[in-house]
Amino acid sequence: MNESQAQSILQKILDASNAEAVVATLNGGMSATTRLADNLITQNFESSRAVLTVSCAYGQSHGTASTEDLGDESIKAVVEAAQAIAKSMPPDPEYMPPVEAGETAKYAKVDGYFDQTAGFGPQEKGAQLAVAAKSVAGKGYRLSGAYTSGDEFLAIANSAGLKAYHRSTQGEVHLTAIGNNGSGWAEKISENTDEIDVAAVADEALRIAELAQDPADLDAGKYTLIMQPAAVSELLMFFIWMGFDAKAADEGHNFLRGKLGQKIAPETITIRSDPAEPNCLGEPFQRDGLASRTISWVDEGALANMIYSRFWAKKQAKAPTGHPANIIMDGGTATLDEMVASTERGLLVTHFWYIRTVDPMRPLLTGMTRDGLFLIESGRIVGAVKHMRFNENPLDMLGRVEAMGPPQRTGEWMPMLVPALKVRDFNFTSTTKF
Amino acid sequence: MKNLCRHAVEAAKHKGATYADARIVRLRNQLVAAEDKRIEEIRDTESFGVGVRVIADGAWGFAATARVEPGEIERIAARAVEIAHASALAKAPDGIHWAAEPVHDGVFRTPVEKDPFEVSLEDKTGLLLAIGEEVLAVKGVKKYHGHIYFRREHRFLATSEGTLVESETTHGLATYEATAVDDSTAKTRYFEAPGRSAGWEHIERTPLLAEARRVGEDAVAHLKAKPTPVGKKDLILTPSHLALTMHESIGHATELDRVLGMEESLAGSSFATIDKLGALKYGSPLMNIVCDNTMPFGLASRGWDDDGVAGQRWHVVKDGILVDYMSGREVCHAIGAERSHGSCRADSWASIPIIRQSNIGLEPGTEPLTLDELISDTKDGILIDGWGSFSIDQRRENFQFGGDCFWEIKNGKKGAMLKDVTYQAITTDFWGSLDAVCDKRFWDPVGIFGCGKGDPMQIAIMTHGSAPARFRQIDVGGATK
Repeated sequence: MNESQAQSILQKILDASNAEAVVATLNGGMSATTRLADNLITQNFESSRAVLTVSCAYGQSHGTASTEDLGDESIKAVVEAAQAIAKSMPPDPEYMPPVEAGETAKYAKVDGYFDQTAGFGPQEKGAQLAVAAKSVAGKGYRLSGAYTSGDEFLAIANSAGLKAYHRSTQGEVHLTAIGNNGSGWAEKISENTDEIDVAAVADEALRIAELAQDPADLDAGKYTLIMQPAAVSELLMFFIWMGFDAKAADEGHNFLRGKLGQKIAPETITIRSDPAEPNCLGEPFQRDGLASRTISWVDEGALANMIYSRFWAKKQAKAPTGHPANIIMDGGTATLDEMVASTERGLLVTHFWYIRTVDPMRPLLTGMTRDGLFLIESGRIVGAVKHMRFNENPLDMLGRVEAMGPPQRTGEWMPMLVPALKVRDFNFTSTTKF
Repeated sequence: MKNLCRHAVEAAKHKGATYADARIVRLRNQLVAAEDKRIEEIRDTESFGVGVRVIADGAWGFAATARVEPGEIERIAARAVEIAHASALAKAPDGIHWAAEPVHDGVFRTPVEKDPFEVSLEDKTGLLLAIGEEVLAVKGVKKYHGHIYFRREHRFLATSEGTLVESETTHGLATYEATAVDDSTAKTRYFEAPGRSAGWEHIERTPLLAEARRVGEDAVAHLKAKPTPVGKKDLILTPSHLALTMHESIGHATELDRVLGMEESLAGSSFATIDKLGALKYGSPLMNIVCDNTMPFGLASRGWDDDGVAGQRWHVVKDGILVDYMSGREVCHAIGAERSHGSCRADSWASIPIIRQSNIGLEPGTEPLTLDELISDTKDGILIDGWGSFSIDQRRENFQFGGDCFWEIKNGKKGAMLKDVTYQAITTDFWGSLDAVCDKRFWDPVGIFGCGKGDPMQIAIMTHGSAPARFRQIDVGGATK
């Protein structure tokens, strides 16, 4: 949906509501996925949707309703539903009025829409995957994975006069090459599907899978661990999610309580967000219209900022940050080969699986290694080992980083640009059977 | 709606589909959320659309739209066939095996005594605020979160084989959490009316307000609890805890698509492969795991699955042996079954049906046994209640679970509260150590909202029932080493 069509619908909401304050958003797009399992296309689907969400307020009482029916009757009904909810709701002391129109001046310029991605069809996608599967099958391995592409838009209009629209495209392929006794995995993410080379991703998954066959037993314990960027992003996402909410910290129930402004990691560690980062674009504004911030969360080891909602920022006399549009961890120059060569004894992991919080206050995370865990001895990979479970403190881990690679685009759940890391004394606590 | 579903199926056949189904789904959700002494959010959402799935040229295609009107339906039916032709670029040489199913025509509705969407918002906000007052009145409790959530899904399904069914399911839960904070840490405790296929009567019959003070006190006690022991302990797990352990170590492991490698790229596979069917010793002889998509209150009870297969009841583990899987029409042939068990569901009209966990649970013990008797019979153990941390490898073997609240058991007595307890095991070792299950008086169905699977991920709901059960000599406390 283009800007004019979206804003036309949102204006109908503003016109139809008698509430004292109204915020209307319309978001959606087209998403298409081709899934591969054992070298065959097993699922192939495409859907288009647009969700219209209306928040109305009378005084400090507010209510929200949404619909996917964009007809005039439905628009009227969703406004009435949001108004009725607002009238039933007790006043909310944390209610914030709509974001002012002037906020749009703070929006970063983000251009991540590619016509070729929006028009990327199932035939071309299927053909690329079929070629890759045939190649991998020729080596005696099975290829599984998914290639998703599509476009998204987000439009907003509110009773304070703010109007905004942003659209983007996405392409993401991840492939797993599976042998008789071990697997490898690789991914590529880009707004532009022309930049996605399925054959190269399949080759990388196959290269790891070939190394990963017939893993040996190895006792769990503390090891120097080299993590590929995908593994780092998975840990980092939980680290941010667990600890960076300012309200929870100020109320004493997350692990970064009382640490704002303090040094929490070595000076080599900087973690930030920048929606206009060309290698990892984020959305320029958030669902409430607040500009996505270019901001450092950890600046040369110091906890520079936390996530402040508009209400909590006002209460604490801070600037609102909104949520990170992306996560960028500055890296170094070490190549993976250099990290391996400088390791006397350690492990190399492709990525992690099923990371969960064990203790949000310590903090402590658990998870499993996946699709390739390799033993390094005397500066070279000597073979695959069976997968392990870790229980690790991600904050403490930042203090044990010994080398960083150049940041790479990754991120299962949000755009992330992070380096490979070499970390000493990573805590593995048990092993599994493969 | 039925005519539009038929129209979609006919349009797909006209374009060359050899099989087609169409689902029109309207999903309504209502969330009322409280934080401390305020109502944080009331949100009422509705999703409505149609998805058309086809087999053409021996391969799958699926397309969906939110514009439920004849012309648009014809467009997506044609698009689904187009997509199927793209799938045929890498299709199985022998095509898709689509198991036979009788033609169904009927209506399923969740029995609801009190329509939750007709209950006033004032009643819902009033309940949450009253609970919050009680919880926050406990000295040391600094935070309260609570929410009430209901969803109603109205689905029409037509297949090119002639099935035309309608289901209207109503699901709900209410849950809240108290957080106690001191100078060194913070600890929580929750209580809930667990997810059920039911109406507002489920909320009214759960002592949410009556338990609020105790929940707050537990959270405060949790702060001062003894550290977890490290070593082997006997574990007694309550149904509210065991639900997730079963979900992760049995439910996902016995989804036949995963077993066959169809979810390898994201959700993972399974150690319980089909060559082990009928032979794998999954657990002790007390382990009887039954799937039941007909059970009252079950979140996966909906009449027919999204393949048009009628709800069924069957064992996947009998007397400790792996005997079957959760299946769909596409994959049941792999184990020689002529009929699917009906486990395929999609999370919306915009999603393709995949095998999701049925209502699946541990059968109660056949001998009379109460929880108190089980504790009395345990010398050195830990009682675990509620969900905590959970993680399992992609083949469902190595797992580690926490919980919400823990108590030591010494010489047959429930003793001091513990904190930071986790246990870790290999699935078959763990279930092999099952040596007691309380009887059917204590069997309790616990709903799971938010099970992720698929790629991109879909979110499903289902129910896991059990009675309190004991597992001998499980490794405890390894996470804190």
